[in-house]
Amino acid sequence: MNLLFLRLPLVVAVFLSGCSGDSGIPSGRTVIRYWDKWSGWEAEAMRAVVDEFNRSQERIWVEFSSTSHINRKLMLSIGGGVPPDVAGLFGNTLAVYAENNALTPLDQLAREAGLGEDHYIPIFWEICNHLGHLWALPSSPASLGLVWNKKIFRENGLDPDRPPSSIAELESMNDRLVRRDTNGRLQSVGHLPSEPGWWPAIWGWWFGGQLWDGERMTMDDPGNRVAMEWISTYPRRFASRDLLSFRDGFGNFASPQNAFFTGRVAMVLQGPWIHTFIEKYAPADFAWGVAAFPTADPARLGTVTLVETDVLVIPAGAKHPREAFEFLRYVSRPAVMEKLCLGMRKFSPLRETSPDFFAQHPNPHIRTFLELAKSPQAKRVPPFTLWAMMENDMKQAFGKVWNGTATPEEVLREVQNHLQAELEKHQQRWSRLSGILQKQWGSP
Amino acid sequence: MNSGNRGRLATGFLFIAPWLVGFLALSLYPFLSSLYLSGCDYSVLAPAVWIGPENYTNLAQDPIFWKAAGNTVLFAMVSVPLGLLLSFLLALLLNADIPARGFFRTVFFLPSLMPLVCLAVLWLWLLNGDLGLVNACLRPFLGLGNHLFGASWAPPNWLQDPHFALAGLVLTGIWGVGHPMVIFLAGLQEVPRHLYESADIDGASPWQKLRHITLPMLSPVIYFNGLMALIGCFQVFAVPFVMTEGGDGPERSLLFLATYLYQHAFEYWNMGYACAIGLFLFCLILGLTWVASRVSSRHVHYEGA
Amino acid sequence: MTCGKTIRFLLLLALAATFLAPMAWMVSTSLKPLAETMTVPPRWIPSSLQWQNYPDAIRAMGYFWRYTGNSLLLCLLTVAGTLVSSTLAAYGFARLEWPGRDKLFSLCLATMMIPFPAIMVPIYGLFKDLGWIGSLKPLWIPTFFASAFHVFLLRQFFLSLPRDMAEAARIDGCNEWQILWHTVLPLARPILLVVAVFQFLATWNDFLGPLIYLTDQRTFTLALGLQSFQSQQGGTAWHHLMAASTLVILPVLFLFFLTQKTLIQGIATTGSKN
Repeated sequence: MNLLFLRLPLVVAVFLSGCSGDSGIPSGRTVIRYWDKWSGWEAEAMRAVVDEFNRSQERIWVEFSSTSHINRKLMLSIGGGVPPDVAGLFGNTLAVYAENNALTPLDQLAREAGLGEDHYIPIFWEICNHLGHLWALPSSPASLGLVWNKKIFRENGLDPDRPPSSIAELESMNDRLVRRDTNGRLQSVGHLPSEPGWWPAIWGWWFGGQLWDGERMTMDDPGNRVAMEWISTYPRRFASRDLLSFRDGFGNFASPQNAFFTGRVAMVLQGPWIHTFIEKYAPADFAWGVAAFPTADPARLGTVTLVETDVLVIPAGAKHPREAFEFLRYVSRPAVMEKLCLGMRKFSPLRETSPDFFAQHPNPHIRTFLELAKSPQAKRVPPFTLWAMMENDMKQAFGKVWNGTATPEEVLREVQNHLQAELEKHQQRWSRLSGILQKQWGSP
Repeated sequence: MNSGNRGRLATGFLFIAPWLVGFLALSLYPFLSSLYLSGCDYSVLAPAVWIGPENYTNLAQDPIFWKAAGNTVLFAMVSVPLGLLLSFLLALLLNADIPARGFFRTVFFLPSLMPLVCLAVLWLWLLNGDLGLVNACLRPFLGLGNHLFGASWAPPNWLQDPHFALAGLVLTGIWGVGHPMVIFLAGLQEVPRHLYESADIDGASPWQKLRHITLPMLSPVIYFNGLMALIGCFQVFAVPFVMTEGGDGPERSLLFLATYLYQHAFEYWNMGYACAIGLFLFCLILGLTWVASRVSSRHVHYEGA
Repeated sequence: MTCGKTIRFLLLLALAATFLAPMAWMVSTSLKPLAETMTVPPRWIPSSLQWQNYPDAIRAMGYFWRYTGNSLLLCLLTVAGTLVSSTLAAYGFARLEWPGRDKLFSLCLATMMIPFPAIMVPIYGLFKDLGWIGSLKPLWIPTFFASAFHVFLLRQFFLSLPRDMAEAARIDGCNEWQILWHTVLPLARPILLVVAVFQFLATWNDFLGPLIYLTDQRTFTLALGLQSFQSQQGGTAWHHLMAASTLVILPVLFLFFLTQKTLIQGIATTGSKN
């Protein structure tokens, strides 16, 4: 067999796989790899911070990669023993990584750096701690509120500066804002829980429900049931078919045909990022307001919101944990954090925010979102490993109730049974491993 | 063993040494390890903890597992006969002296060479509910039907519709029947001409010739193609993975055993559980092979000895 | 042509058109401007041929040339590995007499029954302990340890060769290695080509392996790179996706047309005499 003909393609292959654009890293520095999920302008905001860090000192060079499907890729790389030194995660997934021994505990490093809970708004510090150890530092946070279209309010005789303060008021406004065309098809509504429908699992919070009580799942507690019944009133009020064809007429979220921007839906549950989309896609005269999403019982339940944050972690097995933490520490400096959050169009997770920040911030309602995060009744996703499964189950449950194919009781019972069984499995696994892992993690 | 035999043994072993090392390290060891791990709670970053048959009892009660198993079996039960039928039909059609035979054979064979990722991406596009070619071709027919029967049928949004997603996948798989077709064609060409000639003399109809000569003579090939297709179907991974971006499809209709295994191993860090699924898959294939060999011993005729 | 033949021909024509349609559609989409990919009803011929889509897709994929290089490198390595190891093993199983040979060969065949997903986890663990995860090693080093299917194919072929030349050489005092190299291999070019092409296609096509072993985007193969590109694009840039897909298929087509006869022959023999 003539192997000569293999040589040319081999050379070509090696050449091609070698050619890249890896230049630009000054020699003599410790190179840290940093993977984060962001792309586009959000990635640019972080890149600016990374560039500044690289410029500000001579020892460390951070290489930032915008990585899609970061959970899957990160898990594979940690499992394979070749993780990046810094990674950006969704705070909701922290428990999964921590309990699976996929992260480097940060207690010691944080203590040495003088970073503690008084540096951050309490709920964010809480999110970063789990099982008695610190696993992450917050990077860019968010909260959810009721975002409403002032113009539609005005056009329909509602006070544009007065959002609904209770679910009952929300629904009465909803009824007022429903418009149908001559064929009876829906043209616009006040509110639809399916729009955007990104948080199907937590509606119960605005009705006094909880997801778990710390030990067991409570998916079918009274508050959650009332919430699900509230959701089921929608397909009763508007026929499922009407809702479906109404939905079909919505354009892409990230487009001028967004249901909220075109006035098809007047009120939505959304986060601070909505401002960026409004700027880009909504009509020029779009007037909007932000307030707490109303609860069923305002006197008892207070100001309820979901608070979440992106976090920075150091994966287990990272080659340069100390240098990685130096970067984390840099990001936590007030000036840097504010610059990052400004670029991300979010608010800052730090306890103090400078007035300059608000002055420069393009989002006119950013202060409201910040205040919501500080509320004592602000809630975060529970620190258990089931969040992804719960979201999935609740999405299916929501869909069934929305389509009228199951009753609220049925779906909640199904979800409760499924998740409780899974929770027990996870608790068993934790009880098996906790001794070994806690020893490995050392004292906090 | 005498010295001659010993010498021959040594030579033999020398030649198969690479295979033997591979067998021990990449077949035997992983298989035994998988057996062990399937009885453990193993998330790769923490030590494996023995839990006995717990993974299996959990598996038996896991509705998602049964859904995945059901999807896998359903997919195989539909794809394999359809694929066999189509590839056989094509081979029959090609087994004659017609112009441009080579061209036709190439056209039918090429899609089976396509990298699976390309196949998945292409069919993702073809099966798109609004813009896909498949629905564009269906619309006129459905429109006619609507007109005639006063119905309001619409072409399905294939991969988003829980009732049609699997059908879409079957369609994708069928496009690749070129490979078994080539094998059928070779088999057809090996059928001795004299059998057909004597049948002609006896005045047999084409259908009779098919039933009594072609099919029996081709039964080993049918068996082989069927078995290969079955084993392939049970391991289907790349195409549904790409089409659902690693997800399950609408109402989990595109979740298969291999993808469920992957999810537990690399997304939930439940490697012990994944091994249990893997062993179930292995037993399924083994069982089916055994059943197939039973069936074949009665229905498959090997020429000569 | 007779009536029967005409019907046959027309039927084949219709089927061929149906089989060709998806690929034609792929190329057609790859040459359309983005807006035209979304028109309903769809049009076959683009209003203007956007060859620009190809370099655009390459650029949008990021590391396209790296992916290609990685895939090519892997193909070459795996073909070399398979050819060497499977030939040796097949020769050992076919032409040498030694005690226990047939039992071991049955074992070899039996390993084809084990689906990769069933042993994926321990194999992953093995590569992790060796520190190979994240590199291309898990994708080519195992091919140097023979693959049961190729051993089977090659053994079939070796068994069909006449024994006299080898016997003569053996009497002359040649050792087995020399016999293999000088008398058997020269006759085996067609089957070796088939095995090489099969392995090339398998490596070019491989998705699950790269998915679990490769973590750094720069090490991705084309198959994995294409999937990564597709999931980033979501449901928007179909013209780029189709262009990228076409590019990934081209080498396969090229290889096919180069080795058509031998390849088809090889596939045919896998099914016969089983």
